[in-house]
Amino acid sequence: MGIIIALARKELHGYFSTPIAYLMLIAMLSLFNIFFYMIIAQNKEVSLRDVFQIMEFMFVFLIPLLTMKLFSEEKSTGTMEFLLTAPLTPSMLVLGKYLGMMTFFSILIAMTIIYYVIVEYFGSPDPISILSGYVGIWLEGAFFIAIGLLTSSWTGNQIIAAMMSYLILFLLYFATSFTQYFTGTVESFLIQLSTRTHLENFATGMITPGDITYYLSGILLCLVLTRLSIDNRLWQ
Amino acid sequence: MIIVDNVVKNFGSFQALDHVSFEIGKGDIVGFLGKNGAGKTTLMRILTSFLAPSSGKVIIDGSDMAKNSLTIRQQIGYLPETPPLYNSMAVESYLKFAAQIKGVRAKKQRIQLAKVIEECNLAQVKHKTIATLSKGYKQRVGIAQAIIHEPKVLILDEPTSGLDPIQVQQVLALIKNQREQRTVILSTHNLTEIEQIAHRVLIIKSGKIIIDQSLKGLLKAKNDQHTLFQAEPHLQPASLEQIFINLHQLNSSQETTPDNTTGDKWV
Repeated sequence: MGIIIALARKELHGYFSTPIAYLMLIAMLSLFNIFFYMIIAQNKEVSLRDVFQIMEFMFVFLIPLLTMKLFSEEKSTGTMEFLLTAPLTPSMLVLGKYLGMMTFFSILIAMTIIYYVIVEYFGSPDPISILSGYVGIWLEGAFFIAIGLLTSSWTGNQIIAAMMSYLILFLLYFATSFTQYFTGTVESFLIQLSTRTHLENFATGMITPGDITYYLSGILLCLVLTRLSIDNRLWQ
Repeated sequence: MIIVDNVVKNFGSFQALDHVSFEIGKGDIVGFLGKNGAGKTTLMRILTSFLAPSSGKVIIDGSDMAKNSLTIRQQIGYLPETPPLYNSMAVESYLKFAAQIKGVRAKKQRIQLAKVIEECNLAQVKHKTIATLSKGYKQRVGIAQAIIHEPKVLILDEPTSGLDPIQVQQVLALIKNQREQRTVILSTHNLTEIEQIAHRVLIIKSGKIIIDQSLKGLLKAKNDQHTLFQAEPHLQPASLEQIFINLHQLNSSQETTPDNTTGDKWV
């Protein structure tokens, strides 16, 4: 566990030792703040449901920018050789990087709790639906980050890694848009595949085992594939 | 200490290593020599477990690499050709990170950190960001990360590449100091450096070890009427560098001539 934490701390250090982390936090929070104001002003509801859905849409574009360097940079600078010849398992490496990125993402999410404080000040929002919305958006981000980690492990080029993330995230996010062309099983599959379907339930206060399973299995699949991707050697 | 048995490495249809076998004893300093693309780095990457061979065995300190890679990696310090450094980190933070991922116990980390900083003469720059360091310092930080967990085997891929003469001497002195504590394998193009520090030389050509000999024995060849050079007296070597050049000029049938005069192995 110590090695995983050391890897996570190194990852966080990599973000916060340059202006990248601060710029990303400022950019993301500024966008969220604008949309939060617009949604509240237009809907005049003490609910964060639409805010969560806007956050999900923004994450499709922003998370690949955060994750593209996770393994790509290690590959392009030669530090991957340092990590893979150290006495640590590929699983530790994957989990360490994932934990570091998730810590950064959790800090970002924590900074949006001010929205709850604001709606609470002006009305009586349903705390359960807001809590479930936060759980949903956190799981969604965790899934997107796992996808970004996977694509970053495929290439030493950060731009290509980001492009591959965008491709996968667009397919998942816009899967429901293709339902008009299909019926029956395919239609149901596309609905279940889409991240929007699952976040919508969380945003309206419903936490279902199916939605949790969707995110957790997606995260697990990506982490396992990432492990396989970086461990292309026979030595174990 | 190290046994390499019939190792082959193929990259698609290209054979980078062709049935390589050798043994290295404890405390030896062995130089890998060869032209670019000869297979030195591939061999080093196999010894560090970064790459797996297509066939063959590697045994380090009694353990089979295929079965106990993690345990063996604990015993190996490795400096790749490009020092694996995180430019945004300070020297001390980077070395602490290296100690952590190499499994140095928390209580011992501070002691090891102080030890390698002193040994590699990094005290002046320990708080500096790695990006701001000179190439010589970066190389020393690279060596420091390779020895921070006190490995039994130190593998250095062209550790003096791109350094100025003063920096080369500093790095060579640092490597020399390691020989009492660990087995050292290094690759270089600079044969003068090998003459200064190595006990033994392995010359690799097209993925094969064409000479595996003690440095003394190899240098002795320049004075002897060695069978290898009898056929072409104009190639009679005058230095290790010339031996190296000559071997690359000789045809393959001459390369396989055994050396019975010194007892060393001409493969």
